[in-house]
This record gives sequence, structure tokens and C-alpha cells, in this order.
Amino acid sequence: MPYVYLDHEADIGLEATGERLEEALRDGVQGLLALLVDPETVEPREAVPVQASGDDPGALYVALLNAVLAAVDLHGMFFRDFELTRLDRVDDHWVAEGTLYGEPIDLERHAVEIEVKAATYGGLLAEQTDTGWRLRCVLDL
Amino acid sequence: MSTALNVRKIHEYLFEIPPHGKMRVPARLYLDERSLRELLENQSSEEWNAIRQLENVACLPGIVKAALAMADVHPGYGFPIGGVAAFDPKAGGVISVAGVGFDINCGVRCLRTHLTRSDLAGKEEKLADTMYEVIPAGLGSTGELKLSAKEIDRVLREGARYAVHLGYGREEDLEYIEEHGQLSDADPSVVSHTAKQRQMAQVGTLGSGNHYVEVQVVDQIYNARAAEAFGLELGQIVIMLHTGSRALGHQIGTDYLPFLEKATRKYGIEVPDRELVCAPIESPEGQQYFRAVMAGANCAFANRQVLTHLVRQAFWKALRVAETAIETLYEVAHNTVKWEVHEVDGERRRLLVHRKGSTRAFGPGRPELPERYRAVGQPVLVGGTMGTASYILVGTDQGMRETFGTALHGAGRAKSRRQAKRQYPAERIVEQLRKQGIIVRAHGKASISEEAPGAYKDVEHVVDVMCNAGIVARVARLRPIICLKG
Repeated sequence: MPYVYLDHEADIGLEATGERLEEALRDGVQGLLALLVDPETVEPREAVPVQASGDDPGALYVALLNAVLAAVDLHGMFFRDFELTRLDRVDDHWVAEGTLYGEPIDLERHAVEIEVKAATYGGLLAEQTDTGWRLRCVLDL
Repeated sequence: MSTALNVRKIHEYLFEIPPHGKMRVPARLYLDERSLRELLENQSSEEWNAIRQLENVACLPGIVKAALAMADVHPGYGFPIGGVAAFDPKAGGVISVAGVGFDINCGVRCLRTHLTRSDLAGKEEKLADTMYEVIPAGLGSTGELKLSAKEIDRVLREGARYAVHLGYGREEDLEYIEEHGQLSDADPSVVSHTAKQRQMAQVGTLGSGNHYVEVQVVDQIYNARAAEAFGLELGQIVIMLHTGSRALGHQIGTDYLPFLEKATRKYGIEVPDRELVCAPIESPEGQQYFRAVMAGANCAFANRQVLTHLVRQAFWKALRVAETAIETLYEVAHNTVKWEVHEVDGERRRLLVHRKGSTRAFGPGRPELPERYRAVGQPVLVGGTMGTASYILVGTDQGMRETFGTALHGAGRAKSRRQAKRQYPAERIVEQLRKQGIIVRAHGKASISEEAPGAYKDVEHVVDVMCNAGIVARVARLRPIICLKG
């Protein structure tokens, strides 16, 4: 599994792994999208850009997840897919850009799951393992 | 867990972990043997463990007396939920994002009605359907109130008062809200454009997760004098609503987490958990975050005020109950940071009190309380679950001395959301509750299974512990009739 949900009494942990950091970030976003709404019920009809930055890969992971949550409200859309288009390290500052694919919210058709308030630094982990990268944080539900 | 061995029993309902490692003060937990055992046994992960989180809070600079946990304590992020910590600015005290949470000023309002249980007989389904229709809830829902950027700034500055100004609810409501629904230190200019934009369509929405509107009946009165002051009678219908600052609050937390992390480095503060990033209260960064939180808190006040209006509308539409027959009993906040004066070791000190998933519970005589309640103490609203009782308690003098006037905020989760989802299919829970005479309406299935009564601690026991410890006293028990979820 590229992402897994971890047990937490009040909230939920979201862990994403990938051979490369790009993949782990992308899969983390996919894991977040699937928590909000059943992706199968969302058509990828429109593209919305997102970007995030952080002082290290962990902060970047949290910032990217939060940018996705903001995009849901700002555009009034649910998303099915995410593509990471840029990952850069500029002067010890990490920047990620990507595109979300989805459509305007239609509560008749979209199988809504639960609102995620924010990604937090709780349980935050960003480490390089033998097989690649592992990212993890607690999402506030 | 090694720390479990260091737990010292102070009395039947209070345990203490003496300072060790980098702890500046002890950690104290209002629990009995049973709840301590359950807390230790049921930890879903060593990574996010409520006791360790409380010990971490005890390491923060300027913390006064102890890091405290109420009986509904369970793991959060950074702070445990059910946590309380007071900081002294003169001792380098800090302000922390995790001590407030992302749902800034999330809280509960209780409305008392002129109706009795028999007035509702046979009309429950109709009322439930109307509430479902009138009150926007669940992910993706939007409110009827669409605000401009200028109006959002007024929400952030004026809180519930601005909602009343727009025609949502009545002036009298404001008297019975903590801080009268408006915090004067709020500064909209330190809240990001993104935060404001996210909120434009969310004022007057309930949200999802543990947020709810519940119609309840008073089924026990324990303290006649306080019940009379609160306007409560046996058989009376009351309404509880639980929600917070919505996307605006979430975005403030999101924006200020990296901001305070920089401040943590700048001021050389060592934090045992990255989520505990913080800034000295008196630093420019600490002050800026405080003013942003106050703005977020005002947004939550306004949100609950608009929802109060919608509840009144639903009662009018379904039952032709006049708006004036539904009055605000009280509103409490449980994700807050506030300046308060408390007596510590015989000295009155101005402290910044963080309450993360815990409720202010002031005892009698405090000037902050509405005149009507001042002689008996503050109403403390404790939300149970869809299938169990909720309580109205009252603050005590002992609570003022021991917990900075703070008590529990709910039953407290015992099972993880994923566990609950596996164990409690939504359809089964709705059917079980129907048999108990409780109607549930929910926009998302997850809200039902994840919030199933079995996912929570036993509210009776949790309330027992806090009352037996003397921190609060029982006034009334409320039984659910209709529950609306996101």
C-alpha cells in the first residue's frame, strides 16, 4: 500500500511511503483525498494547481496536505487524483507543486466521508528508509 | 510504558506523575483506578499517547503548578485532549498552537425551551427532518450567509455580536456566552486571506466528525438551586449544539504552525514534540498568534450564533414554536487560550490558560459569569454520545483552586475512529438508537459509525470521577431524542 491510515483515538494518522520523496508526497495526498470522499464518485473534470513549501520534507508534507484541504474550500470542489509536478530544494527550503483533478461538489452524487480539519505536526515523521521515503503525520478530524 | 510506573496516587480520583526528565512541573490526571487502567491499556499507539503528551506539556517554559488532564483525557496532537495548562508571562510562559488546536474555540451551546417532552410527542420525525433540511452540516455543505471580505473582518472583530447585528438571534443570547461572544484582542489583519476566503461560505455550518445538534430532555435534576438558576426543570426540552470556527480556524492553525516553529528556534525553546511549537507570550510572534486566535474564536462565536438562529427556524417551521420560546442557557468553549486571574500559592496571578478539549468551569462569585448564575457558579456543558446522556454541571470553588476553574468537555474517545468504523456499521447503530427512541439524521455515514456510543468512554463514569473529585457538581442529566450529525 502506498499509504496507510494509523489508529488514533480522536484523529487519524496518515503514513505514505515511496521509493522517491515525490511518490510518498503524491500518495499521501491520495490518502487524504480518499478520507474526505469516495474518489470513485468524483470525476476528474477540472484541474486545480496547488503549491506548498516547508523547511524540511516533514513540514512540506504537512503544508501540502493542508494546501489540498484549503483547495477543497476555496474551489468548492472534491478531487479524485493528484499529480506532483515539481519538487525542489531551494536554499534549504522545500517546495512542491502539483495539480488536483476533480469537479465541483455535488452532494447528491459524491459519497462524502468525513471532514479533515488539518494536517498537524503531531506524530510527524519524514525519514529515508532502505526502500525509499516514509512520511507520517496526524490529521485532526 | 515506563512512565506508568511513576504514577503516584494523590487520592481516589487524582493521580500525579512527579517531574522527571525535562518536566518543569508534575502532570496530574483526574482519574480513578479503573479509568487510569483503561487509559494505559487502550492506547492505540505508543507514538501518540495521552500520558506522554501530558508530560511533554509539563516541559514547556513558564507552566504554572501542573499540566492537568481531566477524566475524559485521550490522545490528541501535541497536547492531550482533556488537557489544561496555565502559563505565566513573567516566568517566560508560552502560547502554543497545540494548546488551542485547529478548531479554535470549538464549543457547545445549550438552549433551553419552553417545551416539555409531551409537546414533542409524535412530532419527532418531522422536527428531525426539518433540522436536517435547515441546518447545513457535513463536508461540502455551505451556509445561506455568504459574506464579503469586509463582513468577514467584522465577524472576526465582533463575533456573535455581529451575527446578532445581521439578524441572527437576539441581543439576550450574548449575555450567556463566554466573553459575551466577542473577544476584544482579535485582529483580522493577522489572519490570512486564504483563511478568510475559506470561511466565506462556511459561516452557519455545523461541520462533521463529533459536531452535532441534539434535542434532549431533562431526565434528572440533582441540584434544585442551580437548576432553578439555570432555568431547568424535569421533562423540559433542551437543545445542545457543538461546533467551532470551521475552515477559518483550521487555516489559522495551519498558517501559524510553521510561524511559531520559527519563533521556537529564535527564542531557543526546546520542545519535546514538534507539534508543541510555541512562542513566549510577550514576544511579537506570541502576541500576533494570540490576536489571530482571538479572531478565530470570534468566528466560532458567530458561527454558533447563526446556528442558534437556524435551530429556532427549524422549531418554528416544524412545530410553530416561537423564537422567544428558545433561550440561550449558556455557551462554553473547549479549545481556547485566555487571560485569567487565578490564585496560586496565595498569590493572585494573571495567567494565560490553554484548554484543549476541556471546559472553563468557574465557581460561584466570578465576575465573568452572568449575574443570573453568579451565586451558583458557571454552567458546564458536557456532551455525551448519540446514545447516552449529556450533563449540565456547575463549577466549584475547589475547581478554582485545583484546575484553574476547568473541567471535562465530553465523554472522551476510547476507541479509534478506524476501530469504530469496523465495529459499528452505520445502519446497525441507527437501528439500535431508534429502538432506544433516539432519531439520528446524518449527512455522512462515517459520522455515525465513527461517533457510535461504543467508541466513547462511559460518560456516567467520567462525570462521576470529576464530581467525586469535587471539581464540578451535577445539576441535570439530559437524554437524547434527536441527533443531527454532519
